Amino acid sequence: MHHLNQQPFGSRDEGDPSIDDDSSLVAAVLSKDRKATAEFVARFADGLYVYVRSRLAPRYDEVDDLVQEIFLAAWENLNRYQGSGLLQAWVMGIARHKVEDYYRARLRALEPIEDSHQDHPVFSVVPEFHEALEHEEMEAKTRSVLASLPDPYRLALIWRYWEQASAREMALKTGKTEKAIERILARARAEFRERWSYGQSA
Amino acid sequence: MANLPEEQFMESIAAQVELQDARPAPANLKARIYSGLVLRQGESGPLASLTASRERGQKLCIFEQLVQIVPVGETVKSLNICRVCHARVLAEHFETPPIYWTGCPYVEFKKL
Repeated sequence: MHHLNQQPFGSRDEGDPSIDDDSSLVAAVLSKDRKATAEFVARFADGLYVYVRSRLAPRYDEVDDLVQEIFLAAWENLNRYQGSGLLQAWVMGIARHKVEDYYRARLRALEPIEDSHQDHPVFSVVPEFHEALEHEEMEAKTRSVLASLPDPYRLALIWRYWEQASAREMALKTGKTEKAIERILARARAEFRERWSYGQSA
Repeated sequence: MANLPEEQFMESIAAQVELQDARPAPANLKARIYSGLVLRQGESGPLASLTASRERGQKLCIFEQLVQIVPVGETVKSLNICRVCHARVLAEHFETPPIYWTGCPYVEFKKL
């Protein structure tokens, strides 16, 4: 689960209690208080950026636009925020939907990569590799392998395993059949594992 | 992990690896988002007056303070004066713009 990092914003006088909590910040933004709007941006921009960047990697050129879209959507729907939960969780929910929209659009538009793998065996026999990869090394390797995959495979894997969408949800949202999604996922997993085991030129 | 079925292999990787890298949002992105939101807010009517912001305890920049104390109506104090400020332009285009005024949101974005 990804959490936003809230950032303090330094443009208030000391001891000001006016927008210390989420509801009063929302009320101030809705009243078009520009300073509260600046605080809203400052509070959530870093967390959203980190999240979106991680989900779009290596398409970093599209991150800024998506973060801006998320803020715009959050502001447009701010009057629906009930104050019953944390504002950061509410904003994060919007971010998840937007990232999902991004995946949906890309997976709808892109044809699955044709490859020579028809049916992958359930068990892949891979050469020995260092079982105890250091955590950082493992993170770097995962990012690198994901980045090397064709778009449909990468997006499908992140959507399924990091965003934890089911194949059924993915099928409903992309307008593809569940079987088609399963097929993409199977190929993506096999490709990921092959590149993980044999290197990215595989 | 070498002999895990592919489904479990991926689940195991995803459970152990968080994909985020902790790079904060660029200051110029924050500036562009802020400018965009305030612009949109202004499309449906005047912004909250600077007097109201002041009353909420918000710090105003030097230019906003001038506007806030001059004897003009609240309508003028509701104008988005950042639209004509060079600080906004610099902040939207440069990561470390040469702007330093206290109370300026664009300066604060740079500091975060």
